[in-house]
Amino acid sequence: MGIAKIVQKWFRLRVGIVWGLLALSFGLFVSGFDLKLSLVMDKLPNLLGFRLTPNGFIQGVPLTLFLCASAMLFSTILGFLAALGRLSQSALAYGVSTFYTSFFRGTPLLVQILLIYLGLPQLGPVPDAVPSGILALSLCYGAYISEIFRAGIQSVHHGQWEAAQALGLPRWVVMHKVIMPQAFKVIVPPLGAQFISMLKDSSLVSVMGLWEIMFLSQSYGRATYRYVEMLLTAAIIYWMLSIMLEAIQARIERRFPQGHR
Amino acid sequence: MSVNWKLGIAAVALAAFGFSAAAQAGETLNRVTKTKTMVQVVDQNYPPFSFLNDKNEMDGFDIDVAKEVAKRLGVKLKVETPAWEVVTAGHWQGRFDVCICSMTPSKERGEVLDFVTVYYNTPAVLVVSADNKTAKSITDLNGKKLGAEAGASYEKYLNKALEIEGGKPIDFPFKDIQVAPYETEELAFQDLALGGGKRLDGVVGNLVSIKPRVDKSPDKFRIVGAPLFSDPNAIAVDKGDAEWKAKIASIIADMRKDGSLSTISQKWIGSDISK
Repeated sequence: MGIAKIVQKWFRLRVGIVWGLLALSFGLFVSGFDLKLSLVMDKLPNLLGFRLTPNGFIQGVPLTLFLCASAMLFSTILGFLAALGRLSQSALAYGVSTFYTSFFRGTPLLVQILLIYLGLPQLGPVPDAVPSGILALSLCYGAYISEIFRAGIQSVHHGQWEAAQALGLPRWVVMHKVIMPQAFKVIVPPLGAQFISMLKDSSLVSVMGLWEIMFLSQSYGRATYRYVEMLLTAAIIYWMLSIMLEAIQARIERRFPQGHR
Repeated sequence: MSVNWKLGIAAVALAAFGFSAAAQAGETLNRVTKTKTMVQVVDQNYPPFSFLNDKNEMDGFDIDVAKEVAKRLGVKLKVETPAWEVVTAGHWQGRFDVCICSMTPSKERGEVLDFVTVYYNTPAVLVVSADNKTAKSITDLNGKKLGAEAGASYEKYLNKALEIEGGKPIDFPFKDIQVAPYETEELAFQDLALGGGKRLDGVVGNLVSIKPRVDKSPDKFRIVGAPLFSDPNAIAVDKGDAEWKAKIASIIADMRKDGSLSTISQKWIGSDISK
């Protein structure tokens, strides 16, 4: 026990050193770019969203996080429903679910955003940029997430279903209390990866004029002719946000018992 | 039976399209008067016409003109900044009221937007890398690779496809030029800054946006020869509201007469391009 702990600590220390060295070499690589860092300090408060836009709306990091948090919620719900449809015996549910998954996984997110923002008004409703963005991100990622849920649910041995049903439990109780807790162990890691990917894809909503992280850094970069500085700043902000998501994912994973598979 | 069913769907679709396509007369003007706000839509980044300034507000020539128009209408100004494709796609559906946004009137654009009036003209120029000391005109770049913003009139010029609505036919003296369309002018200049011939031999664009860039890095860029053509820039509105169009046109005519348009031009460009 004692030795195992020391070995583990020693391993962590070495991993820390490797990270430090890699970060340092990235810093050296970037320092060769002739950067004007005072500009970054000037623009950082806006990128981090400490101020509102002239139209009185959130911008920068809070806007990106708001879009992503909403889309995470809706895409998870959509993904779960689509997975149930995919596993269902009903031709209608199966058809709707597979068509949805196929279309939204098979077309570029940018096209989906523009179809919703420019296409929907042709039929009547004129959605604003924020709901259009959340809708597009949710629909697109819901399609990917449905496959993750399906794999998770199918990874639970069929015997579990049969045993639970033999006890006379209703279907939704079996799903809720028996299947999902075991499936989540399989679902969480790829789900986290999807959310990190969504965080970065959310920059595409700037085509509708939303002042999120990428929009602001590109605008500042072009207006000051200092493009690389602002792109690097955006990269580091996205990276920090991703690390935050990774940490949350790691905490959630620890709550589900490992092993016995 | 099934034929009827299909016809029904077609009729519904047609009705929906027809209804939204024909904006009622006076719709935009009514909206602006009712909300006491004029929504101006501009390019996200086209300094010195529209850009994010140090105070994190949209600023520039186009914004100042819009401010003055809003003032004369007695309404507030709100600025929106979607991607250029969203602006030029038309069918604004009441999202935007006016585009004082340096748009070159063309036939294709005229099919989805109404042009109110030309409010300034800019010379188009060729820029090469500063290490190219020999080129004197665009014909010296025959067979070379030139960049321009995708969808802009400069890209059309290089493709010999530029026709200016109501203008003189344009002369294309060059040949065998390879056109590299860029999403933004910024990226084209990043490539040209690597040195002539590395990724690009030159960029064609608008003198006004190019001049500050060249002034800032004379060691990297050089403007070649006389302007290639003069590019008119117009104000655009959504299709179908003649009253609104007339209103904006008369305000711009007033601004031209009393010299306020020229003052704005002097402030941002350093010369009067509004003539």
